[in-house]
Amino acid sequence: MVEVILLIAKVFFASVIYLFIFSIIRLIYLDIKSMNVSKVNLDKGFPTLRLKTKRGLLPFKVEDIYVLSKSMTIGRQDKNDIVIKDSFISGIHAQFILENGEVYLRDLGSKNGVFVNEKKLESNNKSLLKDSDIIKIGQVEFIFTKGE
Amino acid sequence: MNLFLQKGSRWGVFMFRKIAYYIPLCMIVFVNIIGYAFLAFKEEPYNTQAFLMCFIVLAMLCISYIVIIKKRFGESYLFLIVSMLLSIGIMMIYRLNSGLAVKQIVWMLVGIVVFFTCYYSYLKIDKWHKYAVLYMAVPILLYILTLVFGTTINGAKNWIIIAGFSFQPSEINKILYVFFLGSYFKNQDKLFFQKSNFSEKNKILINKALLMFITYLNAGFLVLQRDWGTIALLLLVYLFVLYIFSEDNKFLILNCALLLPTALIGYKFFYHVRVRVEIWIDPWQDVLGKGYQIAQSLFGIGSGGFFGTGLGMGKPYMIPFASTDFIFSAICEEMGTMTGVAVVLLYMILCYRAFKIALNIKSRFEKIVVLGLTLLIGMQTFIIIGGVIKLIPLTGITLPFVSYGGSSLVSSFIILGILQAISKRDFSSGGENYG
Repeated sequence: MVEVILLIAKVFFASVIYLFIFSIIRLIYLDIKSMNVSKVNLDKGFPTLRLKTKRGLLPFKVEDIYVLSKSMTIGRQDKNDIVIKDSFISGIHAQFILENGEVYLRDLGSKNGVFVNEKKLESNNKSLLKDSDIIKIGQVEFIFTKGE
Repeated sequence: MNLFLQKGSRWGVFMFRKIAYYIPLCMIVFVNIIGYAFLAFKEEPYNTQAFLMCFIVLAMLCISYIVIIKKRFGESYLFLIVSMLLSIGIMMIYRLNSGLAVKQIVWMLVGIVVFFTCYYSYLKIDKWHKYAVLYMAVPILLYILTLVFGTTINGAKNWIIIAGFSFQPSEINKILYVFFLGSYFKNQDKLFFQKSNFSEKNKILINKALLMFITYLNAGFLVLQRDWGTIALLLLVYLFVLYIFSEDNKFLILNCALLLPTALIGYKFFYHVRVRVEIWIDPWQDVLGKGYQIAQSLFGIGSGGFFGTGLGMGKPYMIPFASTDFIFSAICEEMGTMTGVAVVLLYMILCYRAFKIALNIKSRFEKIVVLGLTLLIGMQTFIIIGGVIKLIPLTGITLPFVSYGGSSLVSSFIILGILQAISKRDFSSGGENYG
């Protein structure tokens, strides 16, 4: 009986250390995930979103620049291309659509809406973005630049 | 209403992050409690002193970690990983010799104070790369001091004893050497004789010659001290930094090629080195003499099995130097090979995090310093763990953060403090400045 308890304690001891390692790796993974990997595409002339809101005011992670190298979705869920953990942003909030060198923005039925230059977009209607448009999603404001 | 909601949501996100940060800390607490419970209840009468130890260690670790989180020290995982290593180390030392463990706790307190001092002083002083002369002169001074006033402990004359405290100057010297490498490679090959009227080509040649001279001077002094582990460590760090930052491939090949005759000369002329290599190839030919240490270490690791004999139930005191050099074998015996592998993994994620700081940083000097310091910890771990499991020839250096040893622990904390400070600078400039 004592031996069984001993074995359980030993196994438990080792597994807690492994759990510790996994929890650290998970935290690290979450950090990496929210880094925008496509920073490399910056000088290739893709359209970009630049952060307008002061980062210090936001309690979650946002990049300074997001590069729209392809059509991208934005939202709170991890499967989006641009993940922002703002509680005012819906799971899948909106989509940037690249077509023939133009960029369109479509609200994917979000709860709090998408504002372009302080005007709310109609749900599921794609609208053309112009250079230096100000896009407000949740608590975050971006300036849209079109690139070349 | 809107304002209220906004506040609430921020609080929610904040709470999530907060809890996520403290989960690993809880696991450290668990590990400590289980470990010391083993030690307390292993035999009657029960040893309640163990729980006091547990409490002191945890209090120190938790307070430091909370300070790091609250004061936003930048990178927060480094200290967590180190806390886990420290807890495992102190647990093992306490099991081997409770007196040593108390001393180790005092050293840990000193180490944590040094950690915070290093952190603040590194951030205070801006131009660390300007002091290249100091980084060269101070180690040489310390080496000469060690040679004159040094004491021989366990075959290596690398200890200075001041007022009852013994410390190893080479522990500080290796950090200074990394700083020297940093200031040399900041503007590559442009450190010395910039104002003289040699031609450009000659200047570069002289610089390279001086770099090699300083490196081999360091190694030479260490040969006089019979400190083989640190020599291997310094030369490995030198070659790695050269490989990464030097654009001159011929110079790199020359340095690698020089390593071979150096090793051969060492093997030919130094009895110590020859013995180390011989017992590495076959420890069984002289099990009771030269091969005793490594053989006992292997027996220890073997008798542990997957989950070990349980803390306090094995015979780790059979291994010589179980609390310093051979602590990894003692851990493997009593806590099991699984824990041994976990220790290696902990060092891996520690190095990974530190490398990531090096990748993000913009200043070239700090990049090299972070890389060099990380290599110091990583290589030191590799050399000693490789040594005790008979993967490479055994050399006596400590396992950073785990082994007993004041100067080793303090120097490891200096390294950690510098890494933390550089990561903070990176966080505040790179803008990852959040909860």
